[in-house]
Amino acid sequence: MGRRLMHLFRPGAPGGAVLRSVRRDALRCGCSLAAWAMAWPALLLAPLLAWGSPVSTENVTAHLLAEHNPVVPGQPLELLLSLNIRPGWHTYWRNPGDSGEAPRIDWTLPPGVSAGALQFPAPALIRVGPLANFGYSGRALHPVRLSIPADWPVGAPIPVRAEAHWLVCEEHCVPESAVLELTLNTAAAAGPSDPPAREAFAQARAGLPAGTLGGATLTPTPGGLRLSLPRAGLGEAPTAVRFFPWSWGLIEPAAEQPWRLTADRLELDLTPGETAGTADPGGLLTLTGADGAVRSFEVDATRPLPAQAPPGITAPSAPALGLPLALGLAFLGGLILNLMPCVFPVLAIKALSLAGQGGLSARERGAHGLAYTAGVLVFFAALTAVLLAVRAGGTAIGWGFQLQYPPFVAIMAYVFLVLGLSLAGAVTLGGRLMGLAGGEVGGGSAGAFGTGALAALVAAPCTAPFMGAALGYALTLAWPLALAILLALGLGLAAPFLALSLTPGLARRLPRPGAWMEHLKQLLAFPMFATAAWLLWVLSVQTGPAGLALVLAGMLAASFGLWARERTAMAGRSWRRAGEGAALAGLAMALWLGFATADSMAPQQSGAAAAPQAGLAAQPYAPERLAQARAQGRPVFVNMTAAWCITCLVNERVALSAAGVAAAFRAADLLYLKGDWTGRDPQIGDYLAGFGRTGVPLYVYYPAGGEPRVLPQILTPAIVLAALGSAVGAPR
Amino acid sequence: MPHTDQSVRQPRPLVPVMLALLGALVTWGLAWGAPQAPQVGQPAPPFAIADTAGKTWNLADLKGKTVILEWTNDGCPYVRKHYGGGNMQALQREATAAGKVWLTVISSAPGNQGHVTAAAADQLTAERKAAPSAVLLDPTGTMGRAYGAKTTPHLFITDPAGTLVYMGAIDDRPSSDPADLPGARNYVRAALADLDAGRPLADAVTRPYGCSVKY
Repeated sequence: MGRRLMHLFRPGAPGGAVLRSVRRDALRCGCSLAAWAMAWPALLLAPLLAWGSPVSTENVTAHLLAEHNPVVPGQPLELLLSLNIRPGWHTYWRNPGDSGEAPRIDWTLPPGVSAGALQFPAPALIRVGPLANFGYSGRALHPVRLSIPADWPVGAPIPVRAEAHWLVCEEHCVPESAVLELTLNTAAAAGPSDPPAREAFAQARAGLPAGTLGGATLTPTPGGLRLSLPRAGLGEAPTAVRFFPWSWGLIEPAAEQPWRLTADRLELDLTPGETAGTADPGGLLTLTGADGAVRSFEVDATRPLPAQAPPGITAPSAPALGLPLALGLAFLGGLILNLMPCVFPVLAIKALSLAGQGGLSARERGAHGLAYTAGVLVFFAALTAVLLAVRAGGTAIGWGFQLQYPPFVAIMAYVFLVLGLSLAGAVTLGGRLMGLAGGEVGGGSAGAFGTGALAALVAAPCTAPFMGAALGYALTLAWPLALAILLALGLGLAAPFLALSLTPGLARRLPRPGAWMEHLKQLLAFPMFATAAWLLWVLSVQTGPAGLALVLAGMLAASFGLWARERTAMAGRSWRRAGEGAALAGLAMALWLGFATADSMAPQQSGAAAAPQAGLAAQPYAPERLAQARAQGRPVFVNMTAAWCITCLVNERVALSAAGVAAAFRAADLLYLKGDWTGRDPQIGDYLAGFGRTGVPLYVYYPAGGEPRVLPQILTPAIVLAALGSAVGAPR
Repeated sequence: MPHTDQSVRQPRPLVPVMLALLGALVTWGLAWGAPQAPQVGQPAPPFAIADTAGKTWNLADLKGKTVILEWTNDGCPYVRKHYGGGNMQALQREATAAGKVWLTVISSAPGNQGHVTAAAADQLTAERKAAPSAVLLDPTGTMGRAYGAKTTPHLFITDPAGTLVYMGAIDDRPSSDPADLPGARNYVRAALADLDAGRPLADAVTRPYGCSVKY
């Protein structure tokens, strides 16, 4: 009937036809027309039945809406608190952020009727100077569940009185409140909802979380906190991501949250707040799609390790090294590096070359020493800059990380091979930068600088096995301090040569040059070859036989090319050119083969398949295994190792393979977990970061039901047994 | 064995210069520590700020005394809740009578709510019958940022050795309603009592509430 009348008002309707239809219909539907006329006011009022009367305060107009009116007793019902906020002002989310207060309602309801908590759709980040709040602009919608008992008499109205309080701020803050009243009629069938209410409810529900994302972890990192979630379940890749925690104190609300998508995870870097170690690690994750639409998910993160102190407070058994102590240790470590087979030959040759140059003045010798030191320091500064840049990008890197990259290992193996050949005399590496040819000081200060850089380069892989503590600590610091520690290491490395070069009367002290120098030089080739052999072994663990074959072929190509160059060095010009070309070709081939190893990764060796140890059955490390054993109250011993880590291997042979230790492990029903970090496993990287470490070895003993204890990096059977024994006697 | 014959070159002045630059870089790196967010149990961030009378207050000079820092903004409803009810003034009187130093800090930037001239600040103190040892004017927000002051009110307490022992709210009722004052647990009063008794604080870090500091 109403439709007929509407036709009267449709523009362009032929008037005569309409009037005829009205007359015809009116004759037929006289009664219904009258009924319709009486129902008209009720229809006009229908929208208002779903809406309580609005209340306007100075900055907000508040409504209380019902989804349907009348309602059915016993059926779930939702109300909506709608706050239309003055432009430029905002209200707050359940966690308001740095300041502010979330809205709340004091209900006055008839007996038996109860209201749930206010629900909060996804907020926006609202910056206020250096601070930030989580809240809403424009319109804030908060659904609330209302439950009406099933035995409520049908037809009896329900008076609902809600005293809503909220804080609304622009620059100033104004706490406001409003009394909102709504009368819900009850009927056997739910009444209609009008379009504006439907639209408001739809918008409110769209802002609520779409679900819960499981599998999220929150771990401390050197830079702060990392939230990591499985990527599956996120849908399409987002353009913007933000995490809003439920509780105050977990993160700094105003801090940026750099994020990245890896193959299977989404990671966010969060800046910890005042109570980051103990606050509830859950919250809301909002994802903005390419179309600007915002989806949100609840995230219940777990902390995989026992509640860690916020970064800056290190594990109890490794007290934070004071800066002077760390500098001293780094300097000492640099000194010790001079003795390692990597560096010793370079240092020895350089020192002897000083002796061989009787014609140099003390000043010139001193300048060489300083240039050598500069070469070492510049190399370490550059390496630190690269590491810190990588760290700033969010990747958890460790010292020794470069040895996890097979092409790097391959190229280092080539370097040591070529240096060994040069020392043995099979190859002449002339030129100003090497300074090793013929034991002379080649190229003056530039040569000394180059030799310093070379010494630092060959020292870098050798620091990995022994320098875990100082360097791990250094890389967690702010960059000026990290740089200072690395440079102290460089100074230690350069110190012996610098001291030699600055000592007056050096030429008098050292033995006269002679044939013995040549023999010594050739002897020193063998530590170089030994280092190359070690690197080949590391490579074989990483890439298996295929990678090893590639690099051996590369070594063959490089050696042949260099021999060809050597043979033609004294011949005619065209021969020399051919020789140089052959050398270049050989080196290029070697390089190409070296990079080809990146694709041939050996299948990850399980701990059990690695070097078998008498009596100690190790399981590969997995966070679930650790958590399960801890939940069962079983003690756990975690050994994080890597193929290049000599300390780790020594510890395993000496301490962990001892019969007494194996027996003690068995007696305690200990779960022995071994993590192999040779292949850059991110789970192991996270575990190390949890203890403030970036390198291996790391030995952690978890007594049943107790706090984890970090053991020293050099183990003896006595240390391991003492750690086990002291916990065995402890009361459970 | 053939070897290239290199002539000995003069030492280059560039090398010592480079070394000196490197040395300067290292020294600078050592001298410049990254600013740390204030942490309970660590030394409190230093400050040197003038009060309404022009006298400069320095944390180092206050060693040996317990210091309470209170960030305020007289236009904020949460501050008014405590001043209107006499709550803040009573706390100030208690503390200063016991020989502690109470410093009220205003970090509002010029043009923002809460920013006052020295004379206006003194007038406010008189009107409100407040009893701080001094009102510090921090219009550039340096002290506020050093302490991470986020709300008004936001309270910090340092012990006589200069260590930060409390940071957070004044009490456990985060509202602007004066009716919430009676029966609230006053964290500051409890912290001062714990300090006097030599006990570790029951609540050392609490969530501060109020309006944001108007930097």
